[in-house]
Amino acid sequence: MRALIMIVLLAGVLTGVPAPALADPLNVRVAADPPVVSTVLGGHFTITTEVKNAGNAPTGEILAHLNVASIEGSVYVDPEDWSSDRSQQLSLKPGESRKLSWEIQAVNAGLFAAYVVVVPFGNTVNGNEDLSTSPLIRVDVAQRTTLTAGGALPVVLAVPLLIGLAAATVLVRVRRRRA
Amino acid sequence: MTLQVAPPDVTTPQDEAVVDRQSGWVLVAEQETRDLWTSGRGLILLFLFSILLSGVTYLTSTNQALNFLEQRESVNLVLQLAVAVGVLVTLVVSADGISGERERGTLESLLVTPVSRRSIIAGKLIAALTMWFATFGITIPYVWVLARDVGILGQALALGFLVGTLVAIGLGSVGLLISGLCNSNKTSIVASIFLLLILFAPTQLPSGLPQGGFFDVLLRANPVASALAYISSVLVEGQSWTEDLVLLITPLLTAIIAGGALVLAGERLVKLTPGVNAG
Repeated sequence: MRALIMIVLLAGVLTGVPAPALADPLNVRVAADPPVVSTVLGGHFTITTEVKNAGNAPTGEILAHLNVASIEGSVYVDPEDWSSDRSQQLSLKPGESRKLSWEIQAVNAGLFAAYVVVVPFGNTVNGNEDLSTSPLIRVDVAQRTTLTAGGALPVVLAVPLLIGLAAATVLVRVRRRRA
Repeated sequence: MTLQVAPPDVTTPQDEAVVDRQSGWVLVAEQETRDLWTSGRGLILLFLFSILLSGVTYLTSTNQALNFLEQRESVNLVLQLAVAVGVLVTLVVSADGISGERERGTLESLLVTPVSRRSIIAGKLIAALTMWFATFGITIPYVWVLARDVGILGQALALGFLVGTLVAIGLGSVGLLISGLCNSNKTSIVASIFLLLILFAPTQLPSGLPQGGFFDVLLRANPVASALAYISSVLVEGQSWTEDLVLLITPLLTAIIAGGALVLAGERLVKLTPGVNAG
């Protein structure tokens, strides 16, 4: 049986049949800080992730990508609204690590999970590589109403009304003068 | 505009010189300002401006989608809008300054008064700037509503007034230059509004677009965009007044260059042109 396998392999090598490409495992570890963020609607906060190449080979080009998901209720999350800069490209030598900052604005109220996933980058990606993901960061966003209609209403109504009255008075006078 | 000074046949050359040097531009400014406000033209523009600000302020304070904005950002939004639209109406009024007189046939009577052409231009620019000052005055209660709880009322008003005045002087001068060069009033106003739209375009680019060095150059070369960026940097990002002062170079240069061009070309800009309705 072993002889048969050897013959088949040898035949494959000799006839030039390409062996299926094996994806290099992405040996990257991602840490995130802080583990919990509590903020209010509209609040800005920054999370930091540390990406470390734990393997013996350079990572090549890799992409760290931030994502946000709702983990309570049915809040629709558009991560684009949370952070306009959600991808950072980097490459790491063996043992090297890099800290990445992510500036985020809480645009929905509720309970959310933010995490960073590291994926290989470039046209050499096969499609079966493992991904490295940071631990989940819990983001607790409290509802906040910074302004109320009641506070703005007097100004919003009074100013155009007064100017409108003044304009109407002036226009009536101008017409009378012309007539 | 009909300037109420003694007709030229009864004034002596000495009188003319006095009117010209000491109070010519004051007379023109007074008369133009009176025309603007007592004709109702200025008040109608101000009324439309107040409706716009009311709408935006109400939306900012009630709409759920906008309410997440930090209050500083709400103040910034209203202040930027006030500066942008205030400058727009100033530009529209100044763009009517010379070409409008030509078209209404009143420029001829203005030219025979003992007031120098530079004084006429200076007076018209000041009258157009009253439109900016009025729009800023209208903005104060709206900014007060939004900024009173976050302690930035004084800062926001001082910032809006200084930056807006600088941009209004620059673009008001540009409007008068365009008005002097155009025979038709419609052409002058359309060209001025089109210019302002071009200047506003970079401020409306989505923030998600890549903004590299070219965008920075575009921003800094544009007096309106860089002035609005300066307001944002102080009000929202909390920068000191001197930190991003470089953003005010273009608005300042615009005011100096356009104002200088008005002074230099003033004598040639205020003139009757053939083929224009003489009333």
